Amino acid sequence: MCVWCERHADGYERWYFNPANYARKLYKIRKEEAEAAGAEANPQAAGGMALLSRAFVEALDRNDREAIDKMKREAEELSWATHFGQVITLEDTLKIIGIMYPIAIMTCACRRSMLGLPDEENFTCMGMGPGMYKWERWPETYRGGVQFLTPEEAKEVVTKMNKRGLVQTLFTFGTPYLAGLCNCDYPDCSAIRTRLDYDVKMLWKGHQVAQVDTELCNGCAQCIHRCQFKALSFSATQNKAYIDPFQCFGCGLCATECPQDSITMVERASLPALANVW
Amino acid sequence: MLPTITVDDKKCNDPLSCRKCLLICPAHVLGLGTKVGPRKFQEIDRSQFIVSGVRFERCTGCMECVNICPKSAIQVSF
Repeated sequence: MCVWCERHADGYERWYFNPANYARKLYKIRKEEAEAAGAEANPQAAGGMALLSRAFVEALDRNDREAIDKMKREAEELSWATHFGQVITLEDTLKIIGIMYPIAIMTCACRRSMLGLPDEENFTCMGMGPGMYKWERWPETYRGGVQFLTPEEAKEVVTKMNKRGLVQTLFTFGTPYLAGLCNCDYPDCSAIRTRLDYDVKMLWKGHQVAQVDTELCNGCAQCIHRCQFKALSFSATQNKAYIDPFQCFGCGLCATECPQDSITMVERASLPALANVW
Repeated sequence: MLPTITVDDKKCNDPLSCRKCLLICPAHVLGLGTKVGPRKFQEIDRSQFIVSGVRFERCTGCMECVNICPKSAIQVSF
């Protein structure tokens, strides 16, 4: 159980299965003031990422542990209160689509930033919950607009995204309000990038890890391109896929690809060494 | 080695339309930001987008972006 489940699951198996975390008071007029936390947070602000400036990169470069730890901690604490993500499997995503409403597809700010993708090619982000009504009312305020989906359409979309090789992630907009369902990849997704490149925990690992059954794995290597987290490699000696359990984020993209069904998702909590590795 | 990447905002005035530097960089170092923060009830105007070295720590100094920019707006120095 991750800390978010401890605080916000309230009897449900996971915090993101608790319907209360998708309901929130609607759009509100915000005051011009410093970033607030929790339900008062501004969902459109950069959150913790804005704190990672050149100073942070320079501290990393000269390995100034004290400065690195301090800046990392500040960025993490801000993001955990306002805007952070957690990896989920496709299976969990489909369950979530069944319990919240409405859901809409919209353009991805990360890919607009890193690739300048034109709007028509960039509908890979999804927004959830009553907060979306703000963009039904003022569609011109979200670049590219938003398109509302039925639950069935939303399930088809995420299944296609997963097939394409994009990782499903959940994002808070004012923790614990879950409003973002993203389809991520490295290096354009700022959450995966901040986690992998800087080790700043704006993206949390999922509740499972992937495991290869070496009896079933035939070395086809079809899974190799699926991992966005640098956890999956190929053992040339054994001619089998190798998954680093400490690096694995539990997205399940390798498992959904394997033609032999040799990769299964195991509960992180069932592995003593991994139970608190997030 | 950490580079300094500067983009002349006056020369690069519509990066969303051009995109050349974003697509040529092998390490996805460059990215678009905006000159203004999020605004209430307003989409940010295209002219407010600017290119910067988002992942400058990954810049190898290949200079592909410098060479491809049609406005010579990018400078990379180590």
